[in-house]
Amino acid sequence: MKLTLLDWSIILVYLAGCLAAGLWMRRFVRGVQDFAVAGREMDVNLGIASLAATELGLVTIMYTAQLGYEKGFAGAAIGVIMWLVMWFVGRTGFVIGPLRASGIMTIPELFEKRFSPRVRWLAGLFVVLGGLLNMGIFLRLGGEFLVHAIGLPPGALEWTMTALLGLVLLYTALGGMLSVLVTDYLQFLVMGVGIVVTSVLVLVQIGWTPLTAGLEAAWGAGQLKGHPYNPLHESSFGWGYLLWQFVFQLAVVTTWQTQISRVLSARNADTARTMYRRTAFYFVGRFLLPGLWGAAACVWFAAQGGLPEGLTSLTAMPHFLGVVLPAGLIGLVVAAMLAAEMSTDSGYMLTWATVIYNDLVAPCLKRPLTPPAQLRLTRALVVAIAVFLLFYGLWYELPGNAWDYLAVTGNIYLASVFTLLVAGLYWPRANATGAVAALVLGAVGPVAFLVLGQRLAIAPEVAGASSFTLAALGMVVGSLLSPARPVRS
Amino acid sequence: MNTALVALWGLLLGASILWYGFLVFHVGWKAGREIRDLTATLGAADRPPPERR
Repeated sequence: MKLTLLDWSIILVYLAGCLAAGLWMRRFVRGVQDFAVAGREMDVNLGIASLAATELGLVTIMYTAQLGYEKGFAGAAIGVIMWLVMWFVGRTGFVIGPLRASGIMTIPELFEKRFSPRVRWLAGLFVVLGGLLNMGIFLRLGGEFLVHAIGLPPGALEWTMTALLGLVLLYTALGGMLSVLVTDYLQFLVMGVGIVVTSVLVLVQIGWTPLTAGLEAAWGAGQLKGHPYNPLHESSFGWGYLLWQFVFQLAVVTTWQTQISRVLSARNADTARTMYRRTAFYFVGRFLLPGLWGAAACVWFAAQGGLPEGLTSLTAMPHFLGVVLPAGLIGLVVAAMLAAEMSTDSGYMLTWATVIYNDLVAPCLKRPLTPPAQLRLTRALVVAIAVFLLFYGLWYELPGNAWDYLAVTGNIYLASVFTLLVAGLYWPRANATGAVAALVLGAVGPVAFLVLGQRLAIAPEVAGASSFTLAALGMVVGSLLSPARPVRS
Repeated sequence: MNTALVALWGLLLGASILWYGFLVFHVGWKAGREIRDLTATLGAADRPPPERR
Protein backbone atom coordinates (compact mmCIF):
# COMPACT_ATOMS: atom_id res chain seq x y z
CA MET A 1 0.00 0.00 0.00
CA LYS A 2 1.24 3.45 -0.88
CA LEU A 3 0.92 6.26 1.66
CA THR A 4 -0.82 9.41 0.49
CA LEU A 5 0.12 12.96 1.46
CA LEU A 6 -2.64 12.90 4.10
CA ASP A 7 -1.24 9.68 5.59
CA TRP A 8 2.26 11.15 5.82
CA SER A 9 0.88 14.36 7.37
CA ILE A 10 -0.91 12.39 10.12
CA ILE A 11 2.24 10.42 10.89
CA LEU A 12 4.54 13.46 10.92
CA VAL A 13 2.18 15.58 13.06
CA TYR A 14 1.90 12.71 15.53
CA LEU A 15 5.68 12.19 15.74
CA ALA A 16 6.35 15.93 16.11
CA GLY A 17 3.68 16.19 18.85
CA CYS A 18 5.23 13.32 20.81
CA LEU A 19 8.72 14.75 20.53
CA ALA A 20 7.60 18.24 21.59
CA ALA A 21 5.59 16.94 24.58
CA GLY A 22 8.42 14.65 25.67
CA LEU A 23 11.03 17.37 25.51
CA TRP A 24 8.77 19.87 27.28
CA MET A 25 8.59 17.63 30.38
CA ARG A 26 12.36 17.72 30.76
CA ARG A 27 12.12 21.05 32.65
CA PHE A 28 10.38 19.34 35.60
CA VAL A 29 13.11 16.75 36.26
CA ARG A 30 15.03 17.70 39.42
CA GLY A 31 16.42 14.36 40.53
CA VAL A 32 16.48 10.61 39.96
CA GLN A 33 13.15 10.18 41.74
CA ASP A 34 11.46 12.56 39.30
CA PHE A 35 13.27 10.81 36.45
CA ALA A 36 12.44 7.24 37.53
CA VAL A 37 9.02 7.46 39.24
CA ALA A 38 7.68 10.89 38.17
CA GLY A 39 8.06 12.27 41.70
CA ARG A 40 5.31 9.80 42.77
CA GLU A 41 2.68 12.25 41.61
CA MET A 42 0.84 10.07 39.07
CA ASP A 43 -2.94 9.87 39.45
CA VAL A 44 -5.38 7.11 38.40
CA ASN A 45 -6.30 8.08 34.84
CA LEU A 46 -2.81 9.04 33.76
CA GLY A 47 -1.70 5.73 35.25
CA ILE A 48 -4.32 3.84 33.22
CA ALA A 49 -3.20 5.57 30.00
CA SER A 50 0.48 4.93 30.73
CA LEU A 51 0.02 1.32 31.83
CA ALA A 52 -2.20 0.51 28.85
CA ALA A 53 0.13 2.22 26.36
CA THR A 54 3.30 0.61 27.71
CA GLU A 55 1.87 -2.88 27.91
CA LEU A 56 0.33 -2.77 24.43
CA GLY A 57 3.27 -2.46 22.08
CA LEU A 58 3.56 -3.16 18.39
CA VAL A 59 5.31 -6.36 19.39
CA THR A 60 2.18 -7.28 21.41
CA ILE A 61 -0.02 -6.63 18.41
CA MET A 62 2.23 -8.81 16.24
CA TYR A 63 2.33 -11.82 18.57
CA THR A 64 -1.35 -11.66 19.58
CA ALA A 65 -2.28 -11.47 15.88
CA GLN A 66 -0.03 -14.48 15.31
CA LEU A 67 -1.96 -16.32 18.04
CA GLY A 68 -5.21 -15.31 16.30
CA TYR A 69 -3.88 -16.55 12.97
CA GLU A 70 -2.79 -19.91 14.39
CA LYS A 71 -5.45 -20.54 17.05
CA GLY A 72 -8.40 -18.31 16.11
CA PHE A 73 -10.29 -16.59 18.95
CA ALA A 74 -9.09 -19.23 21.40
CA GLY A 75 -5.68 -17.50 21.19
CA ALA A 76 -7.19 -14.61 23.19
CA ALA A 77 -7.86 -16.87 26.20
CA ILE A 78 -4.59 -15.58 27.68
CA GLY A 79 -6.04 -12.06 27.65
CA VAL A 80 -9.10 -13.27 29.56
CA ILE A 81 -6.83 -14.86 32.17
CA MET A 82 -4.84 -11.63 32.43
CA TRP A 83 -8.07 -9.65 32.96
CA LEU A 84 -9.16 -11.90 35.83
CA VAL A 85 -5.73 -11.91 37.46
CA MET A 86 -5.26 -8.16 37.15
CA TRP A 87 -8.69 -7.45 38.60
CA PHE A 88 -7.95 -9.82 41.50
CA VAL A 89 -4.66 -8.05 42.26
CA GLY A 90 -6.33 -4.63 42.02
CA ARG A 91 -9.17 -5.76 44.27
CA THR A 92 -7.02 -7.34 46.98
CA GLY A 93 -3.82 -5.29 46.67
CA PHE A 94 -1.89 -8.58 46.58
CA VAL A 95 1.84 -7.67 46.42
CA ILE A 96 1.26 -4.23 44.82
CA GLY A 97 -0.21 -2.74 48.02
CA PRO A 98 2.82 -3.43 50.25
CA LEU A 99 5.18 -2.69 47.34
CA ARG A 100 3.88 0.84 46.90
CA ALA A 101 3.72 1.39 50.64
CA SER A 102 7.41 0.45 50.97
CA GLY A 103 8.54 3.61 49.12
CA ILE A 104 11.04 1.80 46.88
CA MET A 105 11.98 2.75 43.27
CA THR A 106 12.63 -0.79 41.97
CA ILE A 107 11.69 -4.30 43.12
CA PRO A 108 15.27 -5.43 43.94
CA GLU A 109 15.53 -2.49 46.34
CA LEU A 110 12.91 -4.22 48.49
CA PHE A 111 15.09 -7.34 48.61
CA GLU A 112 17.91 -5.46 50.29
CA LYS A 113 15.50 -4.31 52.98
CA ARG A 114 14.02 -7.79 53.39
CA PHE A 115 16.97 -10.12 52.67
CA SER A 116 20.47 -8.73 52.00
CA PRO A 117 22.42 -6.41 49.65
CA ARG A 118 23.74 -9.49 47.82
CA VAL A 119 20.19 -10.68 47.05
CA ARG A 120 19.33 -7.20 45.78
CA TRP A 121 22.29 -7.20 43.39
CA LEU A 122 21.65 -10.73 42.14
CA ALA A 123 17.93 -10.07 41.66
CA GLY A 124 18.80 -6.84 39.79
CA LEU A 125 21.01 -8.87 37.46
CA PHE A 126 18.22 -11.35 36.73
CA VAL A 127 15.66 -8.59 36.24
CA VAL A 128 17.90 -6.81 33.75
CA LEU A 129 18.92 -10.01 31.94
CA GLY A 130 15.34 -11.24 31.51
CA GLY A 131 14.01 -7.78 30.70
CA LEU A 132 16.60 -6.94 28.06
CA LEU A 133 16.41 -10.33 26.34
CA ASN A 134 12.63 -9.98 26.34
CA MET A 135 12.82 -6.53 24.81
CA GLY A 136 15.40 -7.63 22.24
CA ILE A 137 12.87 -8.63 19.59
CA PHE A 138 10.63 -5.55 19.88
CA LEU A 139 12.28 -3.56 17.11
CA ARG A 140 12.48 -6.43 14.65
CA LEU A 141 8.80 -7.35 15.06
CA GLY A 142 7.72 -3.70 14.92
CA GLY A 143 9.73 -3.24 11.73
CA GLU A 144 8.13 -6.35 10.21
CA PHE A 145 4.73 -4.73 10.68
CA LEU A 146 5.77 -1.58 8.84
CA VAL A 147 7.43 -3.53 6.02
CA HIS A 148 4.31 -5.59 5.38
CA ALA A 149 1.59 -3.02 6.17
CA ILE A 150 2.88 -0.09 4.14
CA GLY A 151 5.19 -1.90 1.76
CA LEU A 152 8.51 -0.53 3.01
CA PRO A 153 11.41 -2.13 1.14
CA PRO A 154 12.94 -4.82 3.44
CA GLY A 155 16.29 -2.98 3.48
CA ALA A 156 14.57 0.06 5.01
CA LEU A 157 13.47 -1.86 8.13
CA GLU A 158 16.69 -1.29 10.05
CA TRP A 159 16.95 2.39 9.17
CA THR A 160 13.30 3.12 9.92
CA MET A 161 13.43 1.43 13.30
CA THR A 162 16.76 3.06 14.12
CA ALA A 163 15.30 6.50 13.40
CA LEU A 164 12.21 5.72 15.46
CA LEU A 165 14.30 4.47 18.37
CA GLY A 166 16.48 7.59 18.14
CA LEU A 167 13.41 9.78 18.51
CA VAL A 168 12.13 7.80 21.51
CA LEU A 169 15.59 7.83 23.02
CA LEU A 170 15.81 11.61 22.82
CA TYR A 171 12.78 12.35 24.98
CA THR A 172 13.18 9.32 27.28
CA ALA A 173 16.82 10.09 28.12
CA LEU A 174 16.05 13.75 28.80
CA GLY A 175 12.69 13.65 30.55
CA GLY A 176 12.57 10.14 32.05
CA MET A 177 9.27 8.93 33.50
CA LEU A 178 7.71 12.41 33.24
CA SER A 179 8.24 12.45 29.47
CA VAL A 180 7.18 8.81 29.24
CA LEU A 181 3.89 9.52 31.07
CA VAL A 182 2.93 12.44 28.84
CA THR A 183 3.94 10.76 25.58
CA ASP A 184 2.22 7.56 26.76
CA TYR A 185 -0.93 9.63 27.15
CA LEU A 186 -0.76 10.89 23.56
CA GLN A 187 0.12 7.41 22.34
CA PHE A 188 -2.78 5.89 24.31
CA LEU A 189 -5.21 8.21 22.51
CA VAL A 190 -3.82 7.65 19.00
CA MET A 191 -3.46 3.91 19.58
CA GLY A 192 -6.99 3.58 21.01
CA VAL A 193 -8.58 5.33 18.03
CA GLY A 194 -6.44 3.32 15.57
CA ILE A 195 -7.27 -0.05 17.17
CA VAL A 196 -11.02 0.62 17.34
CA VAL A 197 -11.17 1.91 13.75
CA THR A 198 -9.10 -0.99 12.42
CA SER A 199 -11.17 -3.60 14.28
CA VAL A 200 -14.45 -2.18 13.02
CA LEU A 201 -13.12 -1.99 9.45
CA VAL A 202 -11.86 -5.58 9.58
CA LEU A 203 -15.28 -6.75 10.81
CA VAL A 204 -17.03 -4.76 8.09
CA GLN A 205 -14.66 -6.05 5.39
CA ILE A 206 -14.91 -9.74 6.32
CA GLY A 207 -18.32 -9.92 8.09
CA TRP A 208 -18.93 -11.76 11.37
CA THR A 209 -20.73 -14.79 9.91
CA PRO A 210 -18.21 -15.36 7.06
CA LEU A 211 -15.40 -14.93 9.61
CA THR A 212 -16.69 -17.56 12.02
CA ALA A 213 -17.65 -19.90 9.17
CA GLY A 214 -14.23 -19.36 7.59
CA LEU A 215 -12.47 -20.20 10.84
CA GLU A 216 -14.46 -23.44 11.18
CA ALA A 217 -13.64 -24.32 7.58
CA ALA A 218 -9.95 -23.55 8.11
CA TRP A 219 -10.00 -25.70 11.24
CA GLY A 220 -11.64 -28.56 9.33
CA ALA A 221 -9.08 -28.24 6.52
CA GLY A 222 -6.17 -28.35 8.96
CA GLN A 223 -5.10 -24.76 8.22
CA LEU A 224 -5.37 -23.72 11.88
CA LYS A 225 -3.01 -25.10 14.48
CA GLY A 226 -5.71 -25.26 17.16
CA HIS A 227 -9.47 -25.23 17.69
CA PRO A 228 -10.58 -21.67 16.81
CA TYR A 229 -12.94 -21.18 19.79
CA ASN A 230 -12.11 -23.68 22.51
CA PRO A 231 -8.81 -22.96 24.30
CA LEU A 232 -9.23 -26.12 26.41
CA HIS A 233 -9.29 -28.36 23.31
CA GLU A 234 -6.25 -30.63 23.10
CA SER A 235 -5.21 -29.05 19.79
CA SER A 236 -5.30 -25.57 21.34
CA PHE A 237 -3.65 -24.50 24.61
CA GLY A 238 -5.13 -27.25 26.76
CA TRP A 239 -5.60 -27.31 30.53
CA GLY A 240 -1.93 -27.53 31.44
CA TYR A 241 -0.88 -24.46 29.48
CA LEU A 242 -3.82 -22.36 30.71
CA LEU A 243 -3.20 -23.30 34.34
CA TRP A 244 0.44 -22.29 33.90
CA GLN A 245 -0.80 -19.00 32.40
CA PHE A 246 -2.76 -18.21 35.58
CA VAL A 247 0.45 -18.45 37.60
CA PHE A 248 2.50 -16.72 34.91
CA GLN A 249 0.09 -13.79 34.55
CA LEU A 250 -0.13 -13.42 38.32
CA ALA A 251 3.65 -13.12 38.32
CA VAL A 252 3.54 -10.65 35.42
CA VAL A 253 1.09 -8.22 36.99
CA THR A 254 2.82 -8.28 40.38
CA THR A 255 6.44 -8.51 39.28
CA TRP A 256 7.06 -7.20 35.75
CA GLN A 257 9.10 -4.10 36.39
CA THR A 258 7.48 -1.97 33.67
CA GLN A 259 4.06 -2.55 35.23
CA ILE A 260 5.37 -2.13 38.75
CA SER A 261 7.08 1.16 37.85
CA ARG A 262 3.54 2.56 37.32
CA VAL A 263 2.53 1.22 40.72
CA LEU A 264 5.58 2.88 42.28
CA SER A 265 4.89 6.15 40.44
CA ALA A 266 1.32 6.29 41.79
CA ARG A 267 0.40 8.76 44.54
CA ASN A 268 -0.40 5.92 46.97
CA ALA A 269 -1.38 2.25 47.18
CA ASP A 270 -5.10 2.97 46.68
CA THR A 271 -4.37 4.83 43.45
CA ALA A 272 -2.32 1.87 42.21
CA ARG A 273 -5.09 -0.61 43.06
CA THR A 274 -7.78 1.46 41.35
CA MET A 275 -5.52 1.78 38.29
CA TYR A 276 -5.21 -2.01 38.13
CA ARG A 277 -8.94 -2.68 38.48
CA ARG A 278 -9.88 -0.17 35.79
CA THR A 279 -7.18 -1.31 33.36
CA ALA A 280 -7.96 -5.03 33.82
CA PHE A 281 -10.51 -5.44 31.00
CA TYR A 282 -8.20 -3.57 28.61
CA PHE A 283 -6.07 -6.73 28.56
CA VAL A 284 -8.87 -8.77 26.94
CA GLY A 285 -8.80 -6.40 23.97
CA ARG A 286 -5.00 -6.44 24.02
CA PHE A 287 -5.22 -10.09 22.91
CA LEU A 288 -8.64 -10.23 21.28
CA LEU A 289 -8.58 -7.22 18.91
CA PRO A 290 -5.24 -7.96 17.21
CA GLY A 291 -6.28 -11.63 17.45
CA LEU A 292 -9.35 -10.68 15.39
CA TRP A 293 -7.07 -9.14 12.74
CA GLY A 294 -4.94 -12.31 12.69
CA ALA A 295 -7.98 -14.61 12.48
CA ALA A 296 -9.44 -12.45 9.70
CA ALA A 297 -6.11 -12.64 7.85
CA CYS A 298 -6.22 -16.44 8.14
CA VAL A 299 -9.74 -16.61 6.65
CA TRP A 300 -8.88 -14.06 3.94
CA PHE A 301 -5.69 -15.84 2.83
CA ALA A 302 -7.44 -19.24 2.97
CA ALA A 303 -10.02 -17.86 0.53
CA GLN A 304 -7.15 -16.69 -1.72
CA GLY A 305 -5.67 -20.20 -1.79
CA GLY A 306 -3.22 -19.93 1.12
CA LEU A 307 -0.35 -17.73 2.24
CA PRO A 308 1.80 -16.33 -0.57
CA GLU A 309 5.47 -17.24 -0.52
CA GLY A 310 7.49 -15.10 1.86
CA LEU A 311 4.65 -14.58 4.35
CA THR A 312 4.38 -16.37 7.69
CA SER A 313 1.76 -16.52 10.43
CA LEU A 314 3.59 -13.54 11.98
CA THR A 315 3.61 -11.29 8.92
CA ALA A 316 0.23 -12.32 7.48
CA MET A 317 -1.74 -9.78 9.56
CA PRO A 318 0.15 -6.60 8.55
CA HIS A 319 0.10 -7.71 4.92
CA PHE A 320 -3.64 -8.32 5.17
CA LEU A 321 -4.24 -4.88 6.72
CA GLY A 322 -2.15 -3.24 4.02
CA VAL A 323 -4.43 -4.81 1.40
CA VAL A 324 -7.87 -4.38 2.97
CA LEU A 325 -7.62 -0.99 4.69
CA PRO A 326 -8.82 1.85 2.50
CA ALA A 327 -6.27 4.46 1.37
CA GLY A 328 -6.35 7.52 3.62
CA LEU A 329 -6.86 5.50 6.79
CA ILE A 330 -3.53 3.72 6.70
CA GLY A 331 -1.84 6.89 8.03
CA LEU A 332 -3.95 6.70 11.18
CA VAL A 333 -3.27 3.00 11.59
CA VAL A 334 0.47 3.43 11.06
CA ALA A 335 0.51 6.34 13.53
CA ALA A 336 -1.35 4.11 16.02
CA MET A 337 1.13 1.30 15.55
CA LEU A 338 4.07 3.69 15.88
CA ALA A 339 2.43 4.93 19.07
CA ALA A 340 2.27 1.37 20.35
CA GLU A 341 5.94 0.80 19.53
CA MET A 342 7.17 4.09 20.97
CA SER A 343 5.28 3.89 24.26
CA THR A 344 6.59 0.39 24.91
CA ASP A 345 10.18 1.18 23.91
CA SER A 346 10.32 4.31 26.07
CA GLY A 347 8.79 2.65 29.13
CA TYR A 348 11.01 -0.41 28.86
CA MET A 349 14.26 1.50 28.24
CA LEU A 350 13.60 3.73 31.23
CA THR A 351 12.66 0.85 33.49
CA TRP A 352 15.68 -1.32 32.79
CA ALA A 353 18.04 1.67 32.97
CA THR A 354 16.61 2.54 36.38
CA VAL A 355 17.15 -1.01 37.64
CA ILE A 356 20.75 -1.08 36.32
CA TYR A 357 21.51 2.23 38.02
CA ASN A 358 19.59 1.65 41.22
CA ASP A 359 20.36 -2.02 41.88
CA LEU A 360 23.54 -2.93 40.01
CA VAL A 361 25.69 0.19 39.86
CA ALA A 362 24.72 2.31 42.88
CA PRO A 363 25.23 -0.48 45.49
CA CYS A 364 28.80 -0.99 44.19
CA LEU A 365 29.84 2.67 44.55
CA LYS A 366 31.99 3.52 47.56
CA ARG A 367 30.71 7.08 47.65
CA PRO A 368 27.20 8.04 46.53
CA LEU A 369 27.02 10.13 43.38
CA THR A 370 25.76 13.69 43.44
CA PRO A 371 22.17 14.10 42.14
CA PRO A 372 23.32 15.57 38.77
CA ALA A 373 25.80 12.69 38.34
CA GLN A 374 23.05 10.17 39.17
CA LEU A 375 20.89 11.68 36.45
CA ARG A 376 23.73 11.70 33.91
CA LEU A 377 24.51 8.04 34.64
CA THR A 378 20.87 6.95 34.34
CA ARG A 379 20.56 8.83 31.04
CA ALA A 380 23.75 7.19 29.76
CA LEU A 381 22.27 3.79 30.64
CA VAL A 382 19.12 4.56 28.63
CA VAL A 383 21.37 5.30 25.64
CA ALA A 384 23.35 2.08 26.20
CA ILE A 385 20.13 0.02 26.24
CA ALA A 386 19.04 1.60 22.96
CA VAL A 387 22.37 0.60 21.37
CA PHE A 388 21.98 -2.96 22.70
CA LEU A 389 18.45 -3.13 21.28
CA LEU A 390 19.64 -2.15 17.82
CA PHE A 391 22.31 -4.84 17.64
CA TYR A 392 20.55 -7.69 19.47
CA GLY A 393 17.31 -7.08 17.61
CA LEU A 394 19.02 -7.47 14.25
CA TRP A 395 20.68 -10.87 14.62
CA TYR A 396 18.66 -12.98 17.06
CA GLU A 397 16.54 -15.70 15.43
CA LEU A 398 13.38 -16.72 17.26
CA PRO A 399 13.42 -20.38 18.36
CA GLY A 400 9.61 -20.67 18.31
CA ASN A 401 6.70 -18.28 18.02
CA ALA A 402 7.04 -14.75 19.39
CA TRP A 403 4.67 -15.24 22.34
CA ASP A 404 6.61 -18.26 23.61
CA TYR A 405 9.91 -16.39 23.31
CA LEU A 406 8.54 -13.44 25.29
CA ALA A 407 6.99 -15.69 27.94
CA VAL A 408 10.15 -17.73 28.39
CA THR A 409 12.63 -14.81 28.49
CA GLY A 410 10.34 -13.00 30.91
CA ASN A 411 10.35 -16.14 33.02
CA ILE A 412 14.11 -15.82 33.58
CA TYR A 413 13.28 -13.43 36.33
CA LEU A 414 9.50 -13.65 36.73
CA ALA A 415 9.50 -17.05 38.44
CA SER A 416 12.32 -16.29 40.86
CA VAL A 417 11.50 -12.64 41.62
CA PHE A 418 7.80 -13.47 42.06
CA THR A 419 8.78 -16.16 44.54
CA LEU A 420 11.06 -13.71 46.39
CA LEU A 421 8.34 -11.06 46.49
CA VAL A 422 5.59 -13.31 47.77
CA ALA A 423 7.83 -15.05 50.30
CA GLY A 424 9.47 -11.79 51.34
CA LEU A 425 6.16 -10.03 51.90
CA TYR A 426 4.04 -12.86 53.31
CA TRP A 427 6.37 -15.55 54.79
CA PRO A 428 8.38 -14.40 57.81
CA ARG A 429 10.60 -17.51 57.72
CA ALA A 430 12.00 -16.63 54.25
CA ASN A 431 15.67 -15.66 54.33
CA ALA A 432 18.61 -14.71 52.09
CA THR A 433 19.77 -18.30 51.52
CA GLY A 434 16.33 -19.29 50.24
CA ALA A 435 16.23 -16.14 48.10
CA VAL A 436 19.55 -16.90 46.37
CA ALA A 437 18.49 -20.54 45.80
CA ALA A 438 15.16 -19.35 44.31
CA LEU A 439 16.89 -16.89 41.98
CA VAL A 440 19.34 -19.44 40.59
CA LEU A 441 16.92 -22.37 40.32
CA GLY A 442 14.16 -20.21 38.81
CA ALA A 443 16.37 -19.28 35.86
CA VAL A 444 17.31 -22.87 34.94
CA GLY A 445 14.14 -23.75 32.96
CA PRO A 446 13.97 -20.61 30.78
CA VAL A 447 17.72 -20.56 30.08
CA ALA A 448 17.56 -24.24 29.04
CA PHE A 449 14.72 -23.37 26.64
CA LEU A 450 16.66 -20.47 25.13
CA VAL A 451 19.89 -22.45 24.71
CA LEU A 452 18.50 -25.90 23.88
CA GLY A 453 14.97 -25.06 22.73
CA GLN A 454 15.86 -25.45 19.06
CA ARG A 455 17.61 -28.83 19.52
CA LEU A 456 15.41 -30.49 22.15
CA ALA A 457 11.64 -30.23 21.93
CA ILE A 458 11.06 -28.51 25.30
CA ALA A 459 7.47 -27.31 25.57
CA PRO A 460 7.27 -23.67 26.72
CA GLU A 461 4.82 -24.52 29.51
CA VAL A 462 7.21 -27.20 30.78
CA ALA A 463 10.11 -24.72 30.82
CA GLY A 464 7.88 -22.10 32.45
CA ALA A 465 6.17 -24.31 35.03
CA SER A 466 9.45 -25.95 36.00
CA SER A 467 11.02 -22.56 36.70
CA PHE A 468 8.18 -21.60 39.07
CA THR A 469 8.36 -24.97 40.83
CA LEU A 470 12.16 -24.89 41.14
CA ALA A 471 12.13 -21.30 42.42
CA ALA A 472 9.53 -22.12 45.07
CA LEU A 473 11.44 -25.25 46.08
CA GLY A 474 14.67 -23.26 46.34
CA MET A 475 13.03 -20.67 48.55
CA VAL A 476 11.36 -23.17 50.89
CA VAL A 477 14.24 -25.64 51.18
CA GLY A 478 16.94 -22.93 51.35
CA SER A 479 15.08 -20.99 54.03
CA LEU A 480 14.27 -24.05 56.14
CA LEU A 481 17.79 -25.48 55.95
CA SER A 482 19.49 -22.25 57.02
CA PRO A 483 19.10 -20.53 60.38
CA ALA A 484 16.14 -18.18 60.72
CA ARG A 485 17.20 -14.54 60.94
CA PRO A 486 15.16 -11.57 62.04
CA VAL A 487 13.36 -9.81 59.18
CA ARG A 488 15.50 -6.83 58.12
CA SER A 489 12.65 -4.45 57.45
CA MET B 1 -20.68 -26.15 21.86
CA ASN B 2 -19.27 -24.02 19.06
CA THR B 3 -22.35 -21.78 18.90
CA ALA B 4 -22.06 -20.89 22.58
CA LEU B 5 -18.32 -20.29 22.26
CA VAL B 6 -18.77 -18.16 19.13
CA ALA B 7 -21.38 -16.09 20.98
CA LEU B 8 -19.05 -15.72 23.97
CA TRP B 9 -16.12 -14.53 21.84
CA GLY B 10 -18.46 -12.22 19.91
CA LEU B 11 -19.66 -10.73 23.19
CA LEU B 12 -16.11 -10.21 24.45
CA LEU B 13 -15.10 -8.71 21.11
CA GLY B 14 -17.97 -6.21 21.13
CA ALA B 15 -17.31 -5.33 24.77
CA SER B 16 -13.61 -4.79 24.03
CA ILE B 17 -14.30 -2.43 21.13
CA LEU B 18 -16.78 -0.46 23.26
CA TRP B 19 -14.40 -0.39 26.25
CA TYR B 20 -11.48 0.86 24.15
CA GLY B 21 -13.70 3.55 22.61
CA PHE B 22 -14.99 4.60 26.03
CA LEU B 23 -11.51 4.72 27.57
CA VAL B 24 -10.16 6.93 24.78
CA PHE B 25 -12.72 9.63 25.65
CA HIS B 26 -13.08 9.11 29.41
CA VAL B 27 -9.43 8.55 30.31
CA GLY B 28 -8.38 10.98 27.58
CA TRP B 29 -10.36 13.79 29.21
CA LYS B 30 -9.49 13.01 32.83
CA ALA B 31 -5.81 12.16 32.28
CA GLY B 32 -5.39 15.42 30.37
CA ARG B 33 -6.51 17.28 33.49
CA GLU B 34 -4.21 15.17 35.64
CA ILE B 35 -1.23 16.13 33.46
CA ARG B 36 -2.14 19.78 34.01
CA ASP B 37 -2.22 19.23 37.80
CA LEU B 38 0.98 17.16 37.70
CA THR B 39 2.94 19.86 35.89
CA ALA B 40 1.53 22.51 38.25
CA THR B 41 2.68 20.49 41.28
CA LEU B 42 6.09 19.68 39.84
CA GLY B 43 6.56 23.24 38.63
CA ALA B 44 5.83 24.78 42.04
CA ALA B 45 8.94 26.63 43.20
CA ASP B 46 8.50 25.58 46.83
CA ARG B 47 8.11 21.81 46.38
CA PRO B 48 10.44 19.72 48.55
CA PRO B 49 13.49 18.11 46.95
CA PRO B 50 12.36 14.87 45.24
CA GLU B 51 14.69 12.57 47.22
CA ARG B 52 12.77 13.38 50.43
CA ARG B 53 9.37 12.20 49.15
